[in-house]
Amino acid sequence: MTEDKTLWSRWNRLAERAPDAVCMTLLRAGCDSATLTRAGLIARAEQYAAWLHAQGVTAGDSCAIVLRHHIELYPLYLGLVCLGAVPSILAYPNARLHPDKFRAGLSGMARRSGLKLILTERELEPTLLPLLESTPVAGLRFPLEASLGERWRAPAAVSGDAPALLQHSSGTTGLQKAVLLSNRAVLRHVDDYARALEVSASDRVVSWLPLYHDMGLIAAFHLPLALGLPSLQLDPIEWVSAPILWVEAMAREHGTLSWLPNFAYALMGARLHDEDLEGLSLAHVRMVINCSEPVRHESQQALLAKLAPIGLRVSALSASYAMAETTFAVTQTPPGRAAAMLTLDRTRLSSGYVEPAAGSERVCVSSGAPLPDCEVKVLAADGSRLAQDRVGELYVRSPALFDGYHNDPGLSESVLQEGFYRTGDTGFVHAGEVFVVGRKKDLIIVAGRNLYPEDIEAAVSEVPGVLPGRVVAFGRADATLGTERVCVIVESALTAAEHARLRAEVIAAGQRIDVTINEAHVVAPRWLIKSSSGKLSRSDNRERLSQLQAERTA
Amino acid sequence: MITDRLKAELLRVLALEDFDFEDTTLANSVPGWDSLKHIEVIAAIERAYAVRFKTLEVLRLKNIGDLQRLVDSKLTQQK
Repeated sequence: MTEDKTLWSRWNRLAERAPDAVCMTLLRAGCDSATLTRAGLIARAEQYAAWLHAQGVTAGDSCAIVLRHHIELYPLYLGLVCLGAVPSILAYPNARLHPDKFRAGLSGMARRSGLKLILTERELEPTLLPLLESTPVAGLRFPLEASLGERWRAPAAVSGDAPALLQHSSGTTGLQKAVLLSNRAVLRHVDDYARALEVSASDRVVSWLPLYHDMGLIAAFHLPLALGLPSLQLDPIEWVSAPILWVEAMAREHGTLSWLPNFAYALMGARLHDEDLEGLSLAHVRMVINCSEPVRHESQQALLAKLAPIGLRVSALSASYAMAETTFAVTQTPPGRAAAMLTLDRTRLSSGYVEPAAGSERVCVSSGAPLPDCEVKVLAADGSRLAQDRVGELYVRSPALFDGYHNDPGLSESVLQEGFYRTGDTGFVHAGEVFVVGRKKDLIIVAGRNLYPEDIEAAVSEVPGVLPGRVVAFGRADATLGTERVCVIVESALTAAEHARLRAEVIAAGQRIDVTINEAHVVAPRWLIKSSSGKLSRSDNRERLSQLQAERTA
Repeated sequence: MITDRLKAELLRVLALEDFDFEDTTLANSVPGWDSLKHIEVIAAIERAYAVRFKTLEVLRLKNIGDLQRLVDSKLTQQK
């Protein structure tokens, strides 16, 4: 299907071929599901395009979409693409997130990406209005209130190189990165990825993933849309409260492909009730793909133990290594075979060597081999290339690699080297497959959501009693949850009697930026270790805390 | 009105020393009670009272008062 140069032309061709085929379904618990056929989606998108044009949107404009999960989100997004504008779906703010922090995050994105309009819900108007004075944002619009009429019949004549979409990382202190992807990159990627997945016309994608996340947007939305597969979407908030909804959707709607972050395996393994599974079958499921967090063997096994009795095959346990900077996937385990596992020596692995376990074991799960024309190389700290079975930093190259962060050449230069993207992850290659074992950069990933420690440290530094700037935040692996816990250490001169109150205030500061701080530790001034560069070292302080806790329990 | 028993269970599962729960309290406003923790809280309440909530019952909970009323209705059904 590579003759299409743009997403819009691909979607139209599929709609002409089978106008009445259902392509998007939004499943809501306790309600009738909402569906859109291919032709219905195009028609509605053209109505939105006409409305958006009347609002002043033209080709090349970046527009943010900040809506709760809603069936209208899909045609609105396509309507922007029809005009040649560039949609960016952002997370709808959780009630925990302080409006000032939400606005600060959007302000950074608006300045960097030159957002023209924010398409949102009326409820957010008071929060967002101040942005119109301090950023390039020209206005707020409320598409769910729009009265749609005529269809826009003059789709923008854009080239394949024209930008198709913008993906933003979250953050509150200006660290957000914006990845701009072209029509060509997205189409090329979904076609290549579909081949690796051996996608056929009988596949159906089921997803509860939010569309502001690359896995939700590319794998569970763009891929089925560009391949003509039905995509069945669940509301992420409903799913996390009632994970049985995913099993029911996979079983009843005959889902064959689904992408999940690792924590979902642990959560469903622990929380699904056997009696709720009665009468459901997952025997038809081809691939459940673990992606966007380090793949943990225990979490995979927890899900398998829970769902094998209703037919989930071990061979469906797949994995992928993916990131927004390469559009999505760089590697994928092959269909019909469970992701490979290696039982390795934990101590030798932490020294950089892949060797069979002699003492303490660590089971590493493969993320599969690189997709066609993708390459993964492993480099040592001095930049030299490492052979297989040696742990180093992962660099990736892909035909769907982004051109750089939008309007941030300095940051782009720091991560793009000779056509490779420096991932900041550590791992190794074994028998041609990539195993991701850790992270060199300090990013914290909780339930698939990337958190910048700098954002957490800035929020916590504002707490009275915390010595300014004397805070470190880092992630600690939690095998039970299958993800990371957020840990904060603060220095304070307050007496021990006041530490409980201070800890509560530190946790509350995290809440205001919608981060759950699982552990807050108060230490004396000058406790925190600095690195050789003079900055507080997150990794050294994490290590110090672990050692102290181990000594206490010994 | 939140009973002492429900409050004690919530404090335990959320590892809080104290919190002033009212009928209108939203989970989002309680330290540590985020969307990821929610299912654990619900499971803990189910265990503590030996009851089972239906999917829709869980999804319709808007505040702590709703949770108290749901628990009460389950206990009444058991009698």
